[in-house]
Amino acid sequence: IPDFGHKYYLQFSTEDYRTGENAGSCLATVLYPRKKSPPVVSIKCSHTKDQNEIQEEDNRLYQRIRQQSKPITGSNIPDSYGNIEPALEPAWALAVAGSSSIMWEKSTEDVGYFLAQVKSVKQWMRKDDVIEFDYTVLLHEMPTQEMISCHMRLTWLPGHPLKVKHFCASENRRLEEGSGLGSGSAAGLSEERGANL
Amino acid sequence: DQVLHIVPETFQQVQHLQLLHSTLLLDLWKPLLPEDIMPGEDLHIRVPAPLVQEVKDSLDQHRISYRVLIPDVQELVDQSMPREMSSHKQVREGYVYAQYHPMDEIYQWMTQIQNNYSELVTQHFLGMTFENRPMYYLQISQPSNKPKKIIWMDCGIHAREWISPAFCQWFVKEILQNYKSDPKIRRFLQNLDLYVLPVLNIDGYIYSWKTDRLWRKNRSPYENGTCYGVDLNRNFNSSWGSIGVSFNCSSNVFCGSEPESEPETRAVAQFIRRKKSDIVCFLTIHSYGQLILTPYGSTTKPPSNNEELMQVGKKAAAALTGKYGTSYKVGPSSLILYNNSGSSRDWAHMIGIPLSYTFELRDNGTYGFLLPVDQIQPTCEETM
Repeated sequence: IPDFGHKYYLQFSTEDYRTGENAGSCLATVLYPRKKSPPVVSIKCSHTKDQNEIQEEDNRLYQRIRQQSKPITGSNIPDSYGNIEPALEPAWALAVAGSSSIMWEKSTEDVGYFLAQVKSVKQWMRKDDVIEFDYTVLLHEMPTQEMISCHMRLTWLPGHPLKVKHFCASENRRLEEGSGLGSGSAAGLSEERGANL
Repeated sequence: DQVLHIVPETFQQVQHLQLLHSTLLLDLWKPLLPEDIMPGEDLHIRVPAPLVQEVKDSLDQHRISYRVLIPDVQELVDQSMPREMSSHKQVREGYVYAQYHPMDEIYQWMTQIQNNYSELVTQHFLGMTFENRPMYYLQISQPSNKPKKIIWMDCGIHAREWISPAFCQWFVKEILQNYKSDPKIRRFLQNLDLYVLPVLNIDGYIYSWKTDRLWRKNRSPYENGTCYGVDLNRNFNSSWGSIGVSFNCSSNVFCGSEPESEPETRAVAQFIRRKKSDIVCFLTIHSYGQLILTPYGSTTKPPSNNEELMQVGKKAAAALTGKYGTSYKVGPSSLILYNNSGSSRDWAHMIGIPLSYTFELRDNGTYGFLLPVDQIQPTCEETM
């Protein structure tokens, strides 16, 4: 759109992250104004599963996590060989959902992301019914090919939107140890609008 | 055979599972006895292959959710067997191709391969890496007195893309193991020589095993040793330094101090330059993305033989999809991926090699660089 920006019309299908099964399709328009600001998005999706099914699955996931008597902790998910321990799958699934909100916020017309690895996860046990996890995730940034380390705190109760707070290191690692967070410039904590799991 | 993980939620579901177990004679892994199946407790059950679909349908019908814990029991069994009793999947010398191997094992493997197939294979020295490790390629060549054209394939230019060297090894194994029985392969080798470099960025590969699994570049130091690594796929002399690069060592797309500044790049470039009039096809294997990329990355202006490149590329993608349904996109890097300069694919084409491709193997981002071991075989099979 001359003197304003770029508008994209998208039609795409979605699939289950783990199984690859078709999960529905979406129609969207994305408008990137020339001046740097978040894009304007309108989107409508159809789901292959109905609300009840989705709710049931959410509840099952929730129960699986709640049943554990000890706090879930782990690191390097998947590991170097692509393995994910079955006991850590629920934590990984929530990390995928939560980091998608980080990627949503960070991506621009020219820069996109994939979740490369969950570096660490630690569950915070709460007295109420809410599930809470602390994560360090690595985002693969394109086209720079960088690995961005982000700290993510996620809370969830089925039937409610996922709540995500994040803090991403904004510098490349300069030194040689594999320690995520760089010299910590102020990216700040930002409260995310929740997303349905 | 598959092992399913089920957590029954109600007593009705428990009863149904007990029924399935007794009528179909399924194999309970956890708990051991059907009477110990409880709601809310983990159930692991092995289902013989011919019954898998029936059992899954029955579970779906009864709204019992399940997860596949082990998709192929036989494979796990084979992998854990001592070498002498290995299955058909493994070569005589016992090498497991459906696993990732560290560099020292790959060096050993190359020697073994040359020994076992000495009529066809010779190992050649290409150059030294920055950390002084030898780079070797394997030449697969049927003895003949006529001169042959060459297909070049290199893997592992980016350290973290482990599926890439795994593919080169698989490829070599497939060609050699089936040479005697497959007339297509014999005809192929009658007219063409195959040159395979299983790991180009050896120092980086070792670093990704020992220190940082997600490392990409090589390991040469810059800025007085405070920063390491050049992106070797930005270091070739093809519009070097013009786009999609960084001149800052801390970047993962640092293109180096000048074209071919890196010993690994020079080793490959010098060799290809010498042989270029005989090389008809240049293949460089990466991950991930499921793409077959044609030149160029540095410009959207199409190469002179673009139609041919696309035609061949599309045929390859179709053959690949035919195996397991994996879909690959074909096209110039600048259009379907991103702009970049200094890539080996672009350089190979610019010096006159007509068919030059970058393959980005599985997957599409779910596991990305950390592709699970159980995907090595299907990825390699479809790419063959």
